[in-house]
Amino acid sequence: MKKLVSICLLCVSAYTSAEVAVIVNPNNNNTLDKGMISKIYLGKTKSYADGGKIKAVGQKGTAVAKAFTQNVVGKSSSQFKAYWSKLIFTGKGTPPDPLSSDQAVIDFVASNPLGIGYIDSAKVTDAVKVIGKF
Amino acid sequence: MNKKLLSVVVGLACMSSSAHAEIRINGFASIVAGQTLDDNTSLYGYDDDISYKNESMFALQLSSDLQDGLSATAQIVARGNEDFDAEFEWAYVSYQINDDLKVSGGKMRIPFYRYSDFLDVGYAYRWVRPPQSVYNFAFSTYEGLNLLHNTTLGDWDSTMQVIYGSFSGKVPSAAGATPEQIELNDLMGVNWTVSHDWFSARAAYIVADTTINASSIAGLTAALNGYGLTQQANNLLVDEDDGSFFGVGFSVDYDNFLFDAEYTQIEVTDSLLPDQTQYYASVGYRLNDWTVHLTYENNDDEHDSNRLNTVPVSIAGPNNTVVPVSLDPTNTNAPLLKDLTNQVYLGAKQESSTVTVGARYDFHPSAAFKIDLSRFNDDITDQDIDVLAVAIDLVF
Repeated sequence: MKKLVSICLLCVSAYTSAEVAVIVNPNNNNTLDKGMISKIYLGKTKSYADGGKIKAVGQKGTAVAKAFTQNVVGKSSSQFKAYWSKLIFTGKGTPPDPLSSDQAVIDFVASNPLGIGYIDSAKVTDAVKVIGKF
Repeated sequence: MNKKLLSVVVGLACMSSSAHAEIRINGFASIVAGQTLDDNTSLYGYDDDISYKNESMFALQLSSDLQDGLSATAQIVARGNEDFDAEFEWAYVSYQINDDLKVSGGKMRIPFYRYSDFLDVGYAYRWVRPPQSVYNFAFSTYEGLNLLHNTTLGDWDSTMQVIYGSFSGKVPSAAGATPEQIELNDLMGVNWTVSHDWFSARAAYIVADTTINASSIAGLTAALNGYGLTQQANNLLVDEDDGSFFGVGFSVDYDNFLFDAEYTQIEVTDSLLPDQTQYYASVGYRLNDWTVHLTYENNDDEHDSNRLNTVPVSIAGPNNTVVPVSLDPTNTNAPLLKDLTNQVYLGAKQESSTVTVGARYDFHPSAAFKIDLSRFNDDITDQDIDVLAVAIDLVF
């Protein structure tokens, strides 16, 4: 049984091994650690330390999205979805807009001074600033 | 009423879309098939014939961000046990005062329980249905105001909600019984949830001025009033009596281990409704996309024994005669009102426990398969009823 669990865990970690870069606009000078990023994506933190209103975007069902929820938020995609469905259907919150690709996230963050997103770390460009890799 | 509301909301939706406000559409659905496993038994709306309709439902939520903190939300729910007639379950306008504080007005869910707010969203929990010994209120919405305060206390997240409003509607008082009019006025409540990492705890207290039409005791109360025993009659009627609800619960989601428990107390003073206490405790274990769980529930409804024998057997009549207090004073065999009243109080006694085993399988990013087997035991009659149900829960 234990062996089975560890084999499965191996599969899971292999599946989500892609490194994720969390990016913000180059003009954003706030620092964020993993815990704070997690809170942003769980809707618990709504403003940056300097008071700016956070505009967070996610990705729609991509491998990067799966890696991000697992590595940073510490939830499976299903758990993350269940968490947000509790907030959506009770009017307590709206999840980060799911964009369709790394490029869409880069474009959003590059053009929004208060934007934050996550992408495959291999896709990072000069248009955005990386605040953490997970 | 609902049709009118629907057209108003659709109208608003059209207006706001022309004003370039974004309309967000979300939805959820549950397709549930279930039945009891023995002949001539019924539970949770099932009998011994399989039903695909009883607990199935479909819901759409429209929300519009009207900018500057203002938003409008409507949730339309079609339930199989109401022939999929679409009804507004939620319809409210919210204003985000600041990052921590939000006020909402309209039709919303009464936050009795931990899972109250998303009771219909099966995808959000592990059972086919939350433990029914606790989650047994026939009515679940109110019209009024709601103030929501979110903050952090050190490492802890805190959510406090204050509600004020009223409820009025016809709801079945028991399975198969004719729906009775229920009115809750000056409905007031507060609930507080704190959570940290894998632990969360919640407490709720709600009071309301409660009136419930009870047609089954109309004859008895009329007879009591006929003898001038108005106090005894009023003690049966649910007429502007103080109703109170108290609930505490906590939950643990540690690694792959899940534990949930809730305890609730319901009381409507000086009425035929007994004091009710309910609780459940549930453990679960997550193994990749599977969750297995085991739940024990208990319900105990009883009147305090001092409520018994408050109706006199006889009263003094004219000319020093003694008149029996019965349904028919001219008939010596007519049942005494004292006995009938005692029967109402004693008949309200209920004791039951339920054990549920089940599993959830997240087979798709937006859908889960569930199977639950529940054994309900009536501790008074010692009768067992088994219900087996399978479900597909979706969010979209």
